Amino acid sequence: MKFRQRREESLDNEVRDYIDRETQDNIAAGMPPEEARHAAMRKFGPVQNVKEETRAVWGWVWFERLAQDFRHGRRMLAKNPGFTVVAVVSLAIGIGANCATFSFADAMLLRPLTVLRPSEVVTVGTVVSLEGFSSLVASYRDYIDFRDQSKSFDGLVAFTDSTYGFATERDAPPQIRFASLVTGNFFRVMGVQPELGRGFRPEEDLVPGRDAVLVLGHDLWTQDFAADRSVLGRKVRVNGIEFTIIGVAPERFSGMNRFLQTGFYMPIMMWPRLSHDPKSNPLEARDRRGLAIKGRLKPGVTISQAQAELASIAKNLERAYPDTNRNRGVAVRTEMEARVQQSPPDAQLVAMISALSLAVLLVACANVAGLLTSRAPVRAREIALRLAIGAGRYRLIRQLLTESLLLAVAGGFAGLGFGYLGILFFRRLQVPTDLPLKFSFELDQRALLYSLAVALTSAVLFGLAPAIQTTRTDLVKALRSATSDAPGRRRLWGRNLLVAGQVALSLVLLAVATFIYRGVSHELSQGAGFRTDHLLTMSFNPALVNYSESQTQQFFRQVTERARSTPGVKSAALTFSVPYGNQQDGATILPEGYQFPAGKENVNIFANTVDENYFATIGISIARGRSFLATDTATSPRVAVVNEEVAKHYWPGQNPIGRRFRLDDRNGPWVQIVGVAKTIKYLWIAEAPTEFLYLPLSQHPQQQMTLLAESFGEASALTAPLREVIHGLDASQPISNIRTMEEFYRMRAVNTPNMIVQTVAAMGVMGLVLAIVGLYGLVAYAAGRRTREIGIRMAIGAQQNMVLRMVMRQGLILALSGIGVGLIASFGAEKVLHSLFHGSQTDFVTYLLVVPALLLVTMLAAYIPARRASRVDPMIALRYE
Amino acid sequence: MSTEDLKTKIDLLQGTLDMLILRTLLFGPAHGHAIAHAIEHGSEDVLQVEHGSLYPALHRLVKQGLISAKEGTSENNRRAKFYSLTVKGRKKLTAENSKWERLTQAIARIMRPVEEEGQP
Repeated sequence: MKFRQRREESLDNEVRDYIDRETQDNIAAGMPPEEARHAAMRKFGPVQNVKEETRAVWGWVWFERLAQDFRHGRRMLAKNPGFTVVAVVSLAIGIGANCATFSFADAMLLRPLTVLRPSEVVTVGTVVSLEGFSSLVASYRDYIDFRDQSKSFDGLVAFTDSTYGFATERDAPPQIRFASLVTGNFFRVMGVQPELGRGFRPEEDLVPGRDAVLVLGHDLWTQDFAADRSVLGRKVRVNGIEFTIIGVAPERFSGMNRFLQTGFYMPIMMWPRLSHDPKSNPLEARDRRGLAIKGRLKPGVTISQAQAELASIAKNLERAYPDTNRNRGVAVRTEMEARVQQSPPDAQLVAMISALSLAVLLVACANVAGLLTSRAPVRAREIALRLAIGAGRYRLIRQLLTESLLLAVAGGFAGLGFGYLGILFFRRLQVPTDLPLKFSFELDQRALLYSLAVALTSAVLFGLAPAIQTTRTDLVKALRSATSDAPGRRRLWGRNLLVAGQVALSLVLLAVATFIYRGVSHELSQGAGFRTDHLLTMSFNPALVNYSESQTQQFFRQVTERARSTPGVKSAALTFSVPYGNQQDGATILPEGYQFPAGKENVNIFANTVDENYFATIGISIARGRSFLATDTATSPRVAVVNEEVAKHYWPGQNPIGRRFRLDDRNGPWVQIVGVAKTIKYLWIAEAPTEFLYLPLSQHPQQQMTLLAESFGEASALTAPLREVIHGLDASQPISNIRTMEEFYRMRAVNTPNMIVQTVAAMGVMGLVLAIVGLYGLVAYAAGRRTREIGIRMAIGAQQNMVLRMVMRQGLILALSGIGVGLIASFGAEKVLHSLFHGSQTDFVTYLLVVPALLLVTMLAAYIPARRASRVDPMIALRYE
Repeated sequence: MSTEDLKTKIDLLQGTLDMLILRTLLFGPAHGHAIAHAIEHGSEDVLQVEHGSLYPALHRLVKQGLISAKEGTSENNRRAKFYSLTVKGRKKLTAENSKWERLTQAIARIMRPVEEEGQP
């Protein structure tokens, strides 16, 4: 500081010295002193510029200027607390909304894989799609061919996720854990260095069933082993098979699954011993497509090159193995594409909420831009003065932008607070599962960085145009008087546009929220189509304790029999999946006589495997034919129940009972339809009517099933007695997902859509608040500039009412045009929403609710300043200035 | 003086101004005012610049170590900042001088044929 000051003084002295000497010289040459001094100044040139340039030579100027700008900016903002508060709060709302949204989007979609250089990793496989959900899968044999024949990758890995019974001691009861079977190159290709011990060796990737070794996930290591470093070499049991711990994964690697923490990793060669399927060996059967493949692209290889190479390999496979590989192409997707395709509704939801929050940010920026523009004439004098004494325009724009930046930073900090509230709100989203979730809404480094970027962008967004406009000042006019110039038509035009846009946007947001709300409540009022009360669920997977196939089916039979005879149980049934559950199954069918379009020979539809009591217990009514019976056994003819949608699609106008379809492929077994079940909502409260197939458990044995117990009394009261029953059958059998259907339904079907409605509504309200502030500000500003005119009008006899009407007219025109534009945009938005909320039609009630409310509120925002203007005392108004 | 006027005079290239300052200081230490007038008079008023623009150049040369600045007292007992050539500056001047001569000769060679063609 000292040094800088001295240097500054020295420069001042130098300049003064020059001018003094020059003046003396001029006087000596005969000029009068006054003139001599002016001539000296002219000769020297613009003093401020010279000083600036000299300082620039010193270096570090930009930093000093920045500090200077910040100091100046802080003073300017402190001088106008009202303006500052409104601007900061507006920005806080906009930035906060985006911060929370980012956290939401990050958890749902964006967070990258926790592997080395995740951007190089792509997903490879055959497309399986089911009602728009499409993923890439492969069999182990296909994977080997892709791996060995392709040259585009620095390694291809394959893995499959599942739940296992994991026991830390020989005799300890097994716990359900989520784990991956992975190929031997998995850790190396993904760039994951074990924190402890080692990854898999190449020879552990060769012999099926030989190497029972596993690498613990960091999470499970801390949870089950208290992060014990002597854990290497310990024996544990997975589904009853003894495994040796050889390593621990590092903390930053949480597995390939986006939503669940992976507990441990085993060599894929252990798959046959763990899979319990006597019919086919997963390492041999080309039609067991249970693997996910990820590949690391070689530097310089594009996705389309990799795609082309794999496609030619797949073509060869189709020729070599027509039975299993016909029409099985291959696709390569980036991680992002793969995620979006896997669940388009999730991606759409993220996109919708992101778009809405960006809209809120735009409204906020428009607000602040409007405020800044309206301060332009107030500041014109200051700016003009600074231009006159030699400040560059660029420098002034920078100064003004620095003020914007300060506002944005303050707004950003306040926005983090708002954002955190939003994140807390999102955290109320519950996912019913017993497995450790890694899906979480965080205000982490990524969210902070994003918010910072949003704040900086918004500073430019709202600051640049007003800054340019403010510095485009007519010096002479501005210096003469700050406020006497008539309101520039063009300048107000911009603000009018901003405010009308704000009104339009908030109308869209409110309309969308109301629309969704009404859609959801309509769907909810229609009922789920099945019983949600007096039902308890609990899930079993006897494979976790190493049951054989027949033991498993025996166990399931015993569970229902015993459950049914338990006091308090009205009926009991088994089902593979529960409506709205995370676990849904699909089946491939070829309906008899149905002509598929060219290139397609079968269709994937959602399917469930149930026992003969399912429909009665869960209360799904059978519209035609019959439900499954105890006489449908493994040896009797194959039967199925379809829902009304399937019947309508494949046998329109006919009786589907007795019709047949082939299961799986052209050589698959014939299955006869014996019943048609009512269509219910299977996955999502507002889904489109979905085709659905039911298969009997007796003919399609499953490894894991959920018991549905209908109670006479309180469903949760059945928990203890049913636990007792299972315990009596097998004390070591793990039970998961013990829940009442009511609770489950509330979490999945009610809370989630409600949360969406609340999110959108909150955005709408934020948008509206901002629009009101904008409108109020504009009308007040315009009225303020017309004070003199209003005074004259009143002096020559205008009534207060007339003035009120005159000022309000402006607000009304803006509000109406905003509403007009908003209505048109809302119709468009509604169209988009139909993909998320099916069965809803254009809903005029929505507009009947939203439009008058919006009109009323905007009128109020215009009325207050208009009233103030009409109360102007003509004497004071005329004397003003 | 506005920028419009400046364009009609010879635009002083930055390096040229530096060189002129060094050349001026060859005769001994001087303060800003004196340097400005020396340059102006030396060039017989052809090279006219706002004298203020000299100061950034002076400070730049000080920073480059080609000249040094010292507070001192001038003829009439006034305190002023005196600039003088450093050894490094002297060397630089010599180098620039020969460079300048080569440059002017080169330009002269290029310009001459045009004149000859113009006057057959």
